[in-house]
Amino acid sequence: MSESQASLLLRKQLKDLSRNPVDGFSAGLVDDSNVFEWNVTIIGPPDTLYEGGYFNAIMSFPNNYPNSPPSVRFTSEMWHPNVYPDGRVCISILHAPGDDPNGYELASERWSPVHTVETILLSIISMLSSPNDESPANIDAAKEWRETKEEFKRKVSRIVRRSQESM
Amino acid sequence: MESEDDMQDAYGGESDENFSNENEEEDEEISQNNEPDYGFDDYADDDINPSSRLPQSNYTILSEAEIRQRQDEAISTITNFLSVSNVESGILLRHFKWDVGKVNEEWFSDEDRVRRSVGLSSLRAENLRKPLGENLKCAICFEMYPVPTMKSSPGCGHYFCEACWRGYIHTAINDGPGCLTLRCADPACGSAIGEDMVLELVHEEDRQKYRRYLLRSYVEDNRKAKWCPAPGCEYAVELGFISGAGSYDVVCKCGHNFCWNCLEEAHRPVDCDTVARWILKNSAESENMNWILANSKPCPKCKRPIEKNQGCMHITCTPPCKFEFCWLCLGAWTDHGERTGGFYACNRYEAAKQEGVYDEADRRRDMAKNSLERYTHYYERWATNESSRAKAHLDLLQMQAVHIEKLSDKQCQPVSQLKFVTEAWLQIVECRRVLKWTYAYGYYLPDHEHAKRQFFEYLQGEAEAALERLHQCAEKDLQEFLDGDSWQNSFNDFRTKLAGLTSVTRTYFEKIVKALENGLQDVVQGQGTQVGQPSQLGQGSRRR
Repeated sequence: MSESQASLLLRKQLKDLSRNPVDGFSAGLVDDSNVFEWNVTIIGPPDTLYEGGYFNAIMSFPNNYPNSPPSVRFTSEMWHPNVYPDGRVCISILHAPGDDPNGYELASERWSPVHTVETILLSIISMLSSPNDESPANIDAAKEWRETKEEFKRKVSRIVRRSQESM
Repeated sequence: MESEDDMQDAYGGESDENFSNENEEEDEEISQNNEPDYGFDDYADDDINPSSRLPQSNYTILSEAEIRQRQDEAISTITNFLSVSNVESGILLRHFKWDVGKVNEEWFSDEDRVRRSVGLSSLRAENLRKPLGENLKCAICFEMYPVPTMKSSPGCGHYFCEACWRGYIHTAINDGPGCLTLRCADPACGSAIGEDMVLELVHEEDRQKYRRYLLRSYVEDNRKAKWCPAPGCEYAVELGFISGAGSYDVVCKCGHNFCWNCLEEAHRPVDCDTVARWILKNSAESENMNWILANSKPCPKCKRPIEKNQGCMHITCTPPCKFEFCWLCLGAWTDHGERTGGFYACNRYEAAKQEGVYDEADRRRDMAKNSLERYTHYYERWATNESSRAKAHLDLLQMQAVHIEKLSDKQCQPVSQLKFVTEAWLQIVECRRVLKWTYAYGYYLPDHEHAKRQFFEYLQGEAEAALERLHQCAEKDLQEFLDGDSWQNSFNDFRTKLAGLTSVTRTYFEKIVKALENGLQDVVQGQGTQVGQPSQLGQGSRRR
């Protein structure tokens, strides 16, 4: 799919999301001239440790979107087993089918061109509610989440508070 | 001496069939061993094959066209048995790694489970299709399209527009061979996308890549097939059956001689583990070896540097020195071979060490530790036999391409009567290879196994001595007939001699290969008096 088709599709999604906002996140462009870089804010889901937080992230789309997945990186401070210390989000649907030669993830859980900004962000919200400590991106966070939950909770409530302060 | 007798025996007993019938025999054997006969005859007739004397293994060399033919045959077998389409057969076979038996077995034990795991729905898309004329939204690009222009896999109703399909498949093809198990773009679906749909939708460049992956899958996924590891070679090797043990030496049609199991060059009678250790050792030691194994050696008599550029170990220094010596031990050549009643012994590390030969001339004893020295001994013999083998291989090709014609003219003999020369060279190439690997074997033979070591070195010494006689005869004696005007009578003597040496050498090497392949078991069983008298042991086993 050519670059123009990718940008047409992204513009279309942007328009849809501004007309019909979805609960749980808001999305816009970092720079109006570049439809491949999105600025999104994810609202910490209710009844989770992240409730009340406003977490900013940048989505970067490749030229061959939707055949390859975007990358998502939190710019707000984040403490989560599936988020690398530098903020990159590691969930299976953001992995291209060819990325996992060991067959660790099922093909059906990996990237498919039917995914949209909306389905990706909903997956990230679901990740915040239920961390997967099987294949952690942040090993310290995963260890804390598993072994010293209280410490984990304290750290998360601190980043929630900071995210509110920087709004 | 005993070797003379051997020569006569062996010649009288075996030579006739060796000269005339060998190839026909091989052909017959092969077609009996292999139920499906795929172009084996070409292979057996190939004169360049340096392993023609090894017992034939059950394998086939496949060209690209033959691989396609195998694929087509497997697919039509499955199509007939399972009453599915060719495309579905292809999907099933790739899933079960081209094992026709396995496809059948799994399918008939639980068809539904197989269908689910490979993504073949028993539903047909025709029944799922929305009414004509209605527009549908493509779930990838969110544009509306008339249904007839959209596509889904045959077993599901997930319609996408052609452009999105093309992009989806293009990405998969460029991601690698995983495109062969492509599923519907809907992550929840899992319905398989067959080659018909892929080839119909994508552009020519992707089509070629996809076809390439289809072809490769037969070799790369299949437990019974492998690519020839020679650079640039496009042949594959398929085993007729897989046995647990034994040697897997394979000769590709490209001429590369390799082990099917470890893909290193052919190394019979040495096992794959020893070869791997030896190669690792060589790469680790190579820095040390650089200075030791310079390309030249000084003549032991006049000390002028000599570069070895011919095959055999018998070196004659240029006049005025004319000293004849052995390249390996630097001893006088007169001490080698049966002519002096002496006994070819320069393969023996212990013998050389005990006599203190290394003390005088060689700097390396002073400069290197004992372990390095021991390694050097074996490595040098391994490496020298390899270069000797490579040279002999070139000589063989040269012989076949040029010299046989020339010899035929000079000696007024039909080419068919000169086959014994080629036979000799084939034997030399093969024996150099075997001899080379016996040095890796010798290096790893434990020192405390005295009886085994003694027997091994005896066998190796005999084999090596025979090979040196043969190599010298094929190289030097033949040259006289090529250069000059020796008479026909002496040529007939030469024929007898060379054919005899070929046969004797073959016998010696068969013996050592057999002995090493069964781990020198004979020694363990017969430990005692016999071992002390190796020449009797040798005789005994020869008569068996």
